[in-house]
Amino acid sequence: MISYLARRILWIIPVLFAVSVITFYLMHAVPGGPWDREKRLPAAVQARLNAEYGLDQPLYVQYIDWVGGFVQGDLGPSYRYQDRRVNDIVADGFGTTFQLGIMAFVVAVVIGIPLGIVAALGHNRPPDYLSTSVSIIGIATPSFVLAILLVIVFSVQLRWFPTGGWKGPETWVLPTLALAGFPIAVIARYTRASMLEVTRKDYIRTAQSKGLQRGAVVSRHMVRNALIPVVTILGPTLAFLVTGSFIIERIFNIPGVGQFYLSSISTRDYSLLMAMTMLYAFAVAFLNVVVDVLYAYIDPRIRYS
Amino acid sequence: MQKRFIGIFASLAIIVAACGGATTTSAPPASGPATSGPSATGDMSASPSGDASVPPASGALAAEQILNIDISGEPPTLDPNAAQDSNSLTVLRALHRPLVYIDKDLEIVPALAESWEVSDDAKTFTFKLRDAKYSNGDPIVAADLVYSWKRLIDPRTAAPYSYVMEEVAGGPELLDMAGAEPAASDADIVAALDAFSVEAPDEKTFVVTLATPATYFLSAMTLWVGVPIQEKWITSEGATEAANYVSSGPFMLDTWEHNSEIILTPNPNWYGDVKPTLTEIHMSMSPEPAQAMAAYETGEIDMIMPVPGEDVERVKGDDVLKAEYSEQTSLGITYYNYNNGEGVARCADAKACPTTNKNFRIALTQAIDKKSFQDTTFAGLGVIANSFVMPGIPGAIPDYDPYPFDLAAAKDSMDKALGELGYASAAEIPTLKFGYNSGSGHEPRVAFLAQAWEEAFGLKTEQIGSDFSVFLTQRTAGDYDLARNGWGADYPHANNQLGGLFTCGGGNNDQQYCNEAFDDLLTQAAAEADQAAQAALYEEAGKILADDAASLFLRWSVTPQLIKPYVSGLTPTPMDSQIPGEHFYETIQILEH
Repeated sequence: MISYLARRILWIIPVLFAVSVITFYLMHAVPGGPWDREKRLPAAVQARLNAEYGLDQPLYVQYIDWVGGFVQGDLGPSYRYQDRRVNDIVADGFGTTFQLGIMAFVVAVVIGIPLGIVAALGHNRPPDYLSTSVSIIGIATPSFVLAILLVIVFSVQLRWFPTGGWKGPETWVLPTLALAGFPIAVIARYTRASMLEVTRKDYIRTAQSKGLQRGAVVSRHMVRNALIPVVTILGPTLAFLVTGSFIIERIFNIPGVGQFYLSSISTRDYSLLMAMTMLYAFAVAFLNVVVDVLYAYIDPRIRYS
Repeated sequence: MQKRFIGIFASLAIIVAACGGATTTSAPPASGPATSGPSATGDMSASPSGDASVPPASGALAAEQILNIDISGEPPTLDPNAAQDSNSLTVLRALHRPLVYIDKDLEIVPALAESWEVSDDAKTFTFKLRDAKYSNGDPIVAADLVYSWKRLIDPRTAAPYSYVMEEVAGGPELLDMAGAEPAASDADIVAALDAFSVEAPDEKTFVVTLATPATYFLSAMTLWVGVPIQEKWITSEGATEAANYVSSGPFMLDTWEHNSEIILTPNPNWYGDVKPTLTEIHMSMSPEPAQAMAAYETGEIDMIMPVPGEDVERVKGDDVLKAEYSEQTSLGITYYNYNNGEGVARCADAKACPTTNKNFRIALTQAIDKKSFQDTTFAGLGVIANSFVMPGIPGAIPDYDPYPFDLAAAKDSMDKALGELGYASAAEIPTLKFGYNSGSGHEPRVAFLAQAWEEAFGLKTEQIGSDFSVFLTQRTAGDYDLARNGWGADYPHANNQLGGLFTCGGGNNDQQYCNEAFDDLLTQAAAEADQAAQAALYEEAGKILADDAASLFLRWSVTPQLIKPYVSGLTPTPMDSQIPGEHFYETIQILEH
């Protein structure tokens, strides 16, 4: 088990390496640069800035410089926010993004799994229809639409919550719900499908026929077995949530790092873009390992060696 | 409810769907998104106006003097020498004041300098400084100006606005050094800086010698870049963080929570005659205009400028909001480039590049109903433009219109052009490339123009929406035949309007235009010390541009804004870009509400 884990974790390194090479190449292959403005900087000033930031070097030299900094934990200077280091920008915003992601994840799990269970237990009856409708709407509604609806109803109309910002619990509610909407629906659908499949298994029939209470059958036999496929999607879902959402952070004016996924591309803030990509790649790779470990815990048949 | 619902929804949906082009440029209408527009007024102060020296006190003041505003994003820097983006400038204008400043009518007035003398040859300016202190209590001395100006033009600083020092003796040499190959040595730079003609004979006297007689020098001095800067401050670690920041203006930096909020408080050492009434200014940083709009409607922020274009109609029809709505003339222009072909390899053969033909450009211009364009795509906001320089700036020719909308005349011009180019009909012309930056609300405008040309001549265009940087790169390279463009004034002087934008090989000359007669006039104007004579030269130059149909000038900006009724004492100017009255925060007051 330990050696398996160690091997899996070590595999993250080549994954990150490949992601970094591809991203680095692609972002420099796109025309334009960090100094682009509608009012163009004088060519001389651009040349000076390029020299200062090493952008006049061949691409492979720039990459080696970047890797050199990265392995020492230095993510470089921001091209856009010229007084600041990328380390500080990420450190400032990641806590907020992480907190929002965890809150949304908890909400998604707490609502999504019971919703799926209820639907499966009431298969083809009103609870199922209700739950399925909710999850279909949830999947079909983009997060920005949900976010806007929440703002219009709960901020502009009812004035219950502020329209944005990140200053205490009252500002957390709407973005958390908006971010949780989609994962709630996905988790509910997976849970329902998986529950329905489990319901037809022989061991469930056995448990029922030997006279076990329905509650015990559901909790001990059905849910536990049904959760294995659900756990599979929880990993990537968590990775997606804790690394932040560009749209939600933008609509609610949240000072996290999620908004930099897109803004660092459009402003050609190369070092920030690399940092964001590596962060996301690491989160996905690492949480996939965590999910695999969780399998072994939930399903005793799964053993790693 | 329903109206509001749809309005907010539409604005958010449009913007989110288009999150791509979120790039801020300096000055307001330059990136000219769905925001700035003119109305039928040429009035320079169309909104609640105040006076910089006498703040009006109408109604009782509120006990809590806190102003809440949004600056639409994290300022890239608060180093005055290095700043260029409008979110930075909106903050810097509260934190610093230069030697001379503008008043509400854009006249140049004393600020840190209480007076100045100009030598007989109009080359040497001697400024007398006021008794003034920084927020840290240190006196503001002339040596700090010398340091700041040298730092601004020092090639090692690579400051975007270093060019404003080009009139100072020794300035051009330093500007040339910035891009020198191989890079200039430190010793050379230091020597050049020593020759750069700014001096501080004593603590209160600052002397500048210009290379040529002054023309737009004082105008450029009103910018945020030439403010006094203490060397010991700006060279310290984390100088621009709130804990270390040293300001010289009416306010100081109390808090800078990055990406979240800036809080300004009054600078107790502020030397100006008008002391701030506000005790705090809270600046949020919402990158999403629709979020700011919602925040305004719920009262979280007190002003919004510009009102998102999608919301203007709704606001004007809303019983509450329409009373808070006003329009501010801004020094900006919306125009579209014709590729004039100068220096573009693929345009060596005019047939491949029809926009290089003057009659072709005239035909395209005559085929556009600008009023209809503005009504359809700018909510009717704006002043129709047929030339470049904005009304209100000396040298403007707002009434000059050589090629008014006239489809019959357009067809005649097109026939001439087709003959010269060697085409039998406009439909034979290969599809023209029409570039714009996507996701900033330009789509309907590009479509309007493309459709008008297709209907008038059967001309085919390919509309190419790109990421902002890609678009700029290709526009500069002359890859497009037609391209979106916009400009906002840095300072109210025709030189800032025409120089560099239309001169042969000019730094921002993305229409690849070149006319030596125009360049000659600009050179003459720059050397002309007499204001009236200078304005006449700029007028003449402007007419050449219009006659050549160098670009498709469409509208001068008018910016829609919302101001809560309890915000009083605003001093708006046509230079405001994000906050009504952003040049004079010290006059703002909050009334009881």
